[in-house]
Amino acid sequence: MLCVPLVALVIVGRQIYLSTRYGLSTWKGGGMGMFAAADERSNRYAKVFLVDSDGNRDPLVQLSSEDFDVLNRALEYPTRENFLRAAKKIAQENWIPAYQRRPVLNVNSDGNPIGAGAKSYRVMSPSEIRSDTEERRANMEIQFWKISYEPRTRRLRASLAETFVFTPEERFRNDAERKSL
Amino acid sequence: MKSATSARTSVISRRQSASGSPTGRPFVGSSKFGALIEFARNLDLFETVSLLTLVLTVIFGFDHWLFHIVARICLLVFILWPRSLRTPVFWLALALTGAITIILTWELVDNHKYLLDYWLWVLFMVHLFAQPQRQLRIILFNARFFLCLTFLAASAQKLASPSYRSGEMFEYYLYVDPRFAAFGKLIGIDPSVGEAVKKRTMFLRSPFAEVQGNDIQIVGSNRARVAALMMTSWDASVQLAIGLLLLIRRQRTDQIAHILLLFFIFTTYIPAPVFGFGWILAVMGLTLAKDKFPKIGAAYLVSFFAILLYQLPWREWVLKS
Repeated sequence: MLCVPLVALVIVGRQIYLSTRYGLSTWKGGGMGMFAAADERSNRYAKVFLVDSDGNRDPLVQLSSEDFDVLNRALEYPTRENFLRAAKKIAQENWIPAYQRRPVLNVNSDGNPIGAGAKSYRVMSPSEIRSDTEERRANMEIQFWKISYEPRTRRLRASLAETFVFTPEERFRNDAERKSL
Repeated sequence: MKSATSARTSVISRRQSASGSPTGRPFVGSSKFGALIEFARNLDLFETVSLLTLVLTVIFGFDHWLFHIVARICLLVFILWPRSLRTPVFWLALALTGAITIILTWELVDNHKYLLDYWLWVLFMVHLFAQPQRQLRIILFNARFFLCLTFLAASAQKLASPSYRSGEMFEYYLYVDPRFAAFGKLIGIDPSVGEAVKKRTMFLRSPFAEVQGNDIQIVGSNRARVAALMMTSWDASVQLAIGLLLLIRRQRTDQIAHILLLFFIFTTYIPAPVFGFGWILAVMGLTLAKDKFPKIGAAYLVSFFAILLYQLPWREWVLKS
């Protein structure tokens, strides 16, 4: 009679532990914490960049729905292992840069665009052509961000929670191991 | 469809209901509601709960192909052989598939899916035993346990969370969560406020935009603030009250807990389209109340229809109007 309740209690305890220690969303993991906190996937997001050896960064925004699925799992449970899984999935695409660079838009704290800044990025597109391009040799940086809302001042604030950098060796380890067999 | 076991259970249930009626008066089916109460009272507890749970697995089950297939096969097996609902292997198939689905995607699975899977395991356990009294004890204990766990764990997590206590969470969702857009409009929050907030949020999220200080002002609405504070206090207090009252295990406290739970189901799932959650709560509430409080049992039956009706595209109608 008690075995199902005992399992449920263990799962609640595990959820609280993972939530406190590793940032698992309160909404997930069987802790019954739905609608219990604003810190959940809709207020968590990731910025994914390829970073070359000179330190130049290009954001990857044209992610597939499969990429988003894996990334969303990492956002719910933001461990390095989960973001590595997302990085490996995203790295399966062959990312090709566009010729033109896109300037970064500056936005003031009232939320109004105030023009293009000095910074610009290349727009990266996934391509079906697979080649050993330099993008495959670049590091992948995933920035994990959180949005919070301050009701008294009515301000939204984004804060960088953690940055994960994955080398090509990490991302393509399985491929390399498969080839060596 | 009724087996000898279920018939015995019905007799026991009816005896219990006769002795456990809060007023001690018989309910006469003179009015429509009276007839519904009589109907609810005459239902076999195990068959009703099993059937409602099967419906839940088919229409609001796990969003995974494996579970879809198994749930539909189970439905087909039930249609062809209704007594299958009384076999443990029927529930084992569903419970095991649910557990596999949770293990595969546990970071993404909603809490009420965990609750559904616990309940499927409970039904498996119930059907392992032949003695109706034992079955009744298991199902009543587990229904109460999981209602208490759900509401007490939820209210503890809410009260421990600063973003919940401050009203920040509901206010923010009233602006940006599409599930709340129609409700927000109904209570007088202009949809343009939400649109403006979403646009500003996009600036924060985009790598092609740089917001000064990563800090951005939104217009907001006083009405949203007041509504959020009311939703926060209502939600936490109702959930805490249901959990605590059910822990006490007294007739009067149970009655109040059921009324609150019904109020929670009827009101929460209008704005929050988490119908599977409402359904599983109603199944557990019905399990506890059917024999002890026939009127409340009948109200739970109505709540299933309400949950189905809440799926009308009223949000789109409100937003278009």
